[in-house]
Amino acid sequence: MPSICFYFQVHQPFRIRNYSFFDIGANIPYEDQQKNSDILNKVADKCYLKTNKKMLELIHRHQGKFKISYSISGTAIEQFEIYRPDVLKSFIDLSDTGCVEFLSETYNHSLSFIYSKDEFKRQVEKHAAVIKKYFNQEPGVFRNTELIYNNELAAYIEDMGYKGIICEGLDHILNGRTSNYLYKPVNTKNIKVLLKNYRLSDDIAFRFSDKGWAEYPLTADKFRNWIHAIAGNGETVNLFMDYETFGEHQWESTGIFDFLDHLPAEILKHPDFDFKTPSEVVESLPARDIYDVHNFSSWADTERDLSAWLSNSMQQEAIKQVYSIEKQILESNDSELIKGWERLQTSDHFYYMCTKFWNDGDVHKYFSPFDSPYDAYLYFMNVFSDIECRLKSKKKKIRKAAKPAKTKTTLSATNSAESGSLQKINTDTNIDKKKSQDKLKEHYSQMFSYMCET
Amino acid sequence: MLGWEFPPIINGGLGVACHDLSAAMSELADITMIVPKSSPDFKMKNMNLIGLNNLDVNSLATYFNNTQQQPFTLHTVPADINPYHTLQPENFEDTYCSLLTTEREKAGVFTIDQLYGNDIVSKVAQYASITAELASNMDFDVIHAHDWMTMLAGVKIKQQTGKPLVMHIHSLEVDRGGENSKGWVYQLEKKGMEYADLLMPVSHFTAQNIHQHYGIDKRKMFVIHNGSKVVKAFRSKRRFKEKTVLFVGRLTRQKGPEKFLDIASKVLEKDKDVRFIMAGSGDYFKPLLEQSSYRNIGNRFHMAGFLNSQKLNYLFSISDVYCMPSVSEPFGLSAVEAAQFKIPCVISKQSGVSEVLNGSLKFDFWDTDKAAGCILKLISDSVLRNKVIEDASQNLNSVSWEIAAKKIIDAYSLNQLI
Repeated sequence: MPSICFYFQVHQPFRIRNYSFFDIGANIPYEDQQKNSDILNKVADKCYLKTNKKMLELIHRHQGKFKISYSISGTAIEQFEIYRPDVLKSFIDLSDTGCVEFLSETYNHSLSFIYSKDEFKRQVEKHAAVIKKYFNQEPGVFRNTELIYNNELAAYIEDMGYKGIICEGLDHILNGRTSNYLYKPVNTKNIKVLLKNYRLSDDIAFRFSDKGWAEYPLTADKFRNWIHAIAGNGETVNLFMDYETFGEHQWESTGIFDFLDHLPAEILKHPDFDFKTPSEVVESLPARDIYDVHNFSSWADTERDLSAWLSNSMQQEAIKQVYSIEKQILESNDSELIKGWERLQTSDHFYYMCTKFWNDGDVHKYFSPFDSPYDAYLYFMNVFSDIECRLKSKKKKIRKAAKPAKTKTTLSATNSAESGSLQKINTDTNIDKKKSQDKLKEHYSQMFSYMCET
Repeated sequence: MLGWEFPPIINGGLGVACHDLSAAMSELADITMIVPKSSPDFKMKNMNLIGLNNLDVNSLATYFNNTQQQPFTLHTVPADINPYHTLQPENFEDTYCSLLTTEREKAGVFTIDQLYGNDIVSKVAQYASITAELASNMDFDVIHAHDWMTMLAGVKIKQQTGKPLVMHIHSLEVDRGGENSKGWVYQLEKKGMEYADLLMPVSHFTAQNIHQHYGIDKRKMFVIHNGSKVVKAFRSKRRFKEKTVLFVGRLTRQKGPEKFLDIASKVLEKDKDVRFIMAGSGDYFKPLLEQSSYRNIGNRFHMAGFLNSQKLNYLFSISDVYCMPSVSEPFGLSAVEAAQFKIPCVISKQSGVSEVLNGSLKFDFWDTDKAAGCILKLISDSVLRNKVIEDASQNLNSVSWEIAAKKIIDAYSLNQLI
């Protein structure tokens, strides 16, 4: 009995403002609050609220037979909290039906697994906590940022206690096999991998309103036929896409909401088909074969690799710098500083710096709030410099605070052994004198060479 | 006096230099300054400032009715010649629109916004013919032309009136385009300078270039170092802890911006707590940005873009070292400004300013090791630093437009032009 498994990605980054060099140290917020709230309001009205309402209606109409899942990034939830609590409420309503699963991901929609396992783990746990808080669920299936995946990640995630993980259905890995079964990643025990059926997913997400497409217009019964056609050659059809597909990427006028409205009923017409959440799929179906992904893959661009975020030197420099200060930042215990640094990890910042300006470039450009990848890099690095400066001054303050305590203890020591320490001070000053004389000599010789030149 | 850029319409240092110099000279002589464009409300004391854009187009048309003997025939070839490489190329059609037909159109050349651009050839030619007409009704002793854009006009006026022609050389085609750059502008410069009675390069460095690349006798030259306006220098508190090294200039080959990047990475190898700021824009911007990230110094190398004078002064006020690695710099007024802000300068020997600013550390533009060493020394050694600053402020006493103006008048009489 084949199942349909829907998963929708909900994510909004904290976009940074045009943060110039002159803003460094000036106590100016990093984020463009106006832009962030404008975009969120637009997407909330066009997509989130409308689609959530439709989903809720469908769940009620089909009396629990229609099931879906979401992965909502921590930064998106934070923005709902700040700008649109009503959107958050509508997700909670969906969660209350019992037909909606929430997946696990990194809190900041970050690329942390590639750069720091510790930070990755910290973020996954932070995200799980916020999901628990709002939706009272403990996620059992993990999806990494933009479906970035390799064998190592699957094994790592299994160690963290997850039963399933999501990946792109890559043709060169499947090698003629279908993505409509569960697979087992190499070097793991029980974890199963769910593969995105990118053809059927992209038919909705990208091609739905494409008038140049041979199958245009896509109707619910046409789509149903394609789904039903896999009967006997698959056990789960994984339709994974951005939630913004509904109403934002595909406008309401394209008929996407009507399509959605009719789809569950059409699919359920066939008695063998049903809807399952990712956790139900993992629990009820066996892994049929091995899925071996040695190099990192993703669902982005035509390359399906990391090149959307890490292909040019600007992207690499920016992300390297971010993770280079991980230890100091976390040790600072300054929650504001940590928050600022965490938000710099969001993958979107590096996406905006991408210079691949061919077919995919259009997509990068569409999403970028900046005029060019160079601007994105400049402003990002200025923000990073500001964080570095704050970290430095914080350290200094800590050191300053620690110093007086030290002098106190030495004072008490001198009281007990005054004469000895006095001698020590004398020798110390002698050494200082000698040092300063040496320094002066050096100065004179440098000055001499300078005078000779001029 | 024939000028091209003039405040408030300026592109680089030439406009500022022309303005400040002519203002100082107006105390010593009567000056009529003709420029292609000037703002109608912009007035100067003791000076007759004519902007061709403010002349009546209809009256101008009459100037073209009597055809004159050209000093040399000029064939205009549609070409994209741009003396400063910061301007974005226009769309293709503009490039080939320089064949002006009616007189009205000819005079209208200067009502459009850009002084340089794709039809610079026709602008220079029109400037020459209009200016020559204007000059025929004027009484004067010396023709003083600034840079190649006005040379053709200078030559025409001299032919027409027999008055002595002085050419003030602020910048050469070989500075801007490299020594192999021997195209149309080079030819114009060469012919113009050969025809002139007296040349006034802004430095011995430029005089040497004129001699070497244009084959002109040095005895015909009289070096006039640029002056500088007295700037109210101030210090601001930096918002970050690191020492700061500043570069100011167009990001083009001539200014050696990639040398600055080299120097920066060499300094940062030894001392991480230094920030490098680049103020300016140009076609090296993107490559430099990519290279700085490639060298992993993205968090210490800041490209601030093109800045207004207020922001620029702020940068001067927070900087510890000024670095000018120009490949070929006729003068380099920005180093003088830095010295006025009491910032020690590390400048290339291939610059005019190095002749007047002895209180500075100098290097050959290719010797980035030395420059990096100088910067490290200056930020760590306060004795040397103070000595350099002190010397520089001594030098500043002899850098003034008044002195330059007086020298020019002296040179006129010395060469029996007046």
